[in-house]
Amino acid sequence: MSKRIAFWIFLIGTLSSSALFLFLTFDTQRQVEALSHADRIDDRVIAGKRAFQKYNCNDCHTILGFGGYYAPDLTRVIRRVGAEGVRYRVTDPGKAFANGWRKMPNQHLAAAEIDDLAAFFTWVDGIENGDWPPQDSRKRLSRAGERLVASAAASPGAAVFQTRGCMSCHTLHGAGGTFGPVLDTIGARLSAGQIERYVQDPKTVNPKANMPAQTGLTDREREEVARFLSSLK
Amino acid sequence: MEFRSQKIAYWYFVAALPLFLLQVVLGLWLAVNYTFTVPQSVVDVFPFATARAFHTNLLVLWMLLGFMGGTYYIVPEETRSEIYSTALAYVQLVALLLTGVAALVGFAFGWTKGRPLLEIPFPLNLVVVAGALIFLFNVGMTMFRAKRWTVIQGTLLGGLVFLAGLYLFGIPFYRNLVIDWYYWWWVIHLWVEGAWELVTGSIMAFILMKLTGVDREVVEKWLYVEIGLFMFTGVAGTGHHYYWIGAPSYWLWVGGVFSALEPLPIMLMVIDTMQHVKRRRTRIVNPLVWTYAIGCSILHLIGAGVWGFLHTLPQINYYTHGSQVTVSHGHLAFFGAYALLNLTTFYYAMPKLQGVAVFDDRRGRIAFWTMCIAMMIMGLTFGVAGVLQSYIERVLGMGYMTAQSYMRLWMGVTLFAGVFFLSGVVLAVTDLLSLRPAKVAATKV
Repeated sequence: MSKRIAFWIFLIGTLSSSALFLFLTFDTQRQVEALSHADRIDDRVIAGKRAFQKYNCNDCHTILGFGGYYAPDLTRVIRRVGAEGVRYRVTDPGKAFANGWRKMPNQHLAAAEIDDLAAFFTWVDGIENGDWPPQDSRKRLSRAGERLVASAAASPGAAVFQTRGCMSCHTLHGAGGTFGPVLDTIGARLSAGQIERYVQDPKTVNPKANMPAQTGLTDREREEVARFLSSLK
Repeated sequence: MEFRSQKIAYWYFVAALPLFLLQVVLGLWLAVNYTFTVPQSVVDVFPFATARAFHTNLLVLWMLLGFMGGTYYIVPEETRSEIYSTALAYVQLVALLLTGVAALVGFAFGWTKGRPLLEIPFPLNLVVVAGALIFLFNVGMTMFRAKRWTVIQGTLLGGLVFLAGLYLFGIPFYRNLVIDWYYWWWVIHLWVEGAWELVTGSIMAFILMKLTGVDREVVEKWLYVEIGLFMFTGVAGTGHHYYWIGAPSYWLWVGGVFSALEPLPIMLMVIDTMQHVKRRRTRIVNPLVWTYAIGCSILHLIGAGVWGFLHTLPQINYYTHGSQVTVSHGHLAFFGAYALLNLTTFYYAMPKLQGVAVFDDRRGRIAFWTMCIAMMIMGLTFGVAGVLQSYIERVLGMGYMTAQSYMRLWMGVTLFAGVFFLSGVVLAVTDLLSLRPAKVAATKV
């Protein structure tokens, strides 16, 4: 092979790949508008992105899989813990992660900044990105849903416990969040009636309770979940 | 040292080495964060995020200093002339170092752009751009004035211009997160799998040519083919970062196919290095330089080629994306391809710059093996942690922290290997800054 041929290999290799790449870049720019629902990006979302960058969240957390790997991915954080969950963690990480072995810094965000962050995450949650990450994917949720329907007939209270966010804070036999107490043997301490009252408005039972009142549950759901928990002895 | 202005390189290397050391120390602190519980009071003041910004920015800084120093060393010999302006080269070095210090102090106090690896705030971006322009002007003028063009210096200049141009895409604020990541990779990926490979290719070609005495014609022919393949696979291969960001799904195909080819040019580089060594025409003066050069080509292939290849297939990447598997690949690839390249350059040039013809290479040899073995262990332990994470968190769908608790042991082993690695770095840095003449001249041929 002569140097001349080598030169042409270099030139054609570089130009062909670059041409393809630039053409696809042009097309991607166009399609991202729809795939990311760019029309939903309002001032709140942009302010949220600025806050996200200002506090360097991305050097611990990943988002869309990029960033530090030290803390959970935030692509579907709204789906997983809700805006309330984000607010709870960011407002006072010292309290939120008091029982955890990995901490999050308290950066003293203003309440408005946290709202902006939540708006940003809500927009990110809608990005159509090939159903990634797998643990929060629709595929997984639908499979989990099927299992739940099967088990719901046996224990509707357990189904409520799993689907209505109790596990964001409470742990049951090793699975769930660490913010609230472990509930493995809660039935030994509290009756179904007591649990029901507590869930409806924790502050009436214990004025210092951190748990928010579960106003989103129907009477039926509250009754079922209380019956389920009281059976854990 | 044939030209006086090559001395510039010495100061660039001297600046780069302590930064390398500091980078590794911070890496150990990151591993401590993964292994132990750091109290809330410490986390509030010096969070993991800040330490990580230190770790990665120091990496970029010392490597760029190494590349620039390497360039100042090579260009006079290639052009057979002195550098256009020595003063400008020093001005640029000071500007870059001051930017680095300002950036690190800024990060500690929360002055950051908050984009991983590109945390440097806008005013400092401008200093970096100014520094890069001075550098390119200085190097370009040297070549232009000498009117002696070689493929090696052409590739070097091309790579550096490409490198500087891409940096611009990292500067603006992007409203749309998807577009943000799209262009973020123009800096990160097209740097390490494009521009930096051009720089590596040409520096490696230069060193091999000088060491082996193989004809320039042959070396430059290989260089053309290698950089052609690097660019062909690397540019469109950027697509492997666009699988899950909300870009169109054709990137699964483009990224998958082109990145499957990415090990090819690296393999070619290994073959070509071995070929040159086998057909050498000159006596081996400092065998350690060869050890570093061959180690670089092999670990480059393992870290960047094999490890990269393993998880760029979309079907695998769906589970490993954004996990410790990426970290494993990142460490092996950066160390293999770029840390070892810089160390090869330093070990090639430093003896000449310090006026030691044949140096005592015992310390440097121990350092080489310590660093390489420790980094291989780290690559494996990060990898085990990553596979555990992919399986527990992504396949089984258990919580993030549940997966982390199983990975904790392996991060602890990484910390242990990291201490081992640090001892190698300390040895290499001390050795390079105080090379001693060998008592018995090397006689191997």
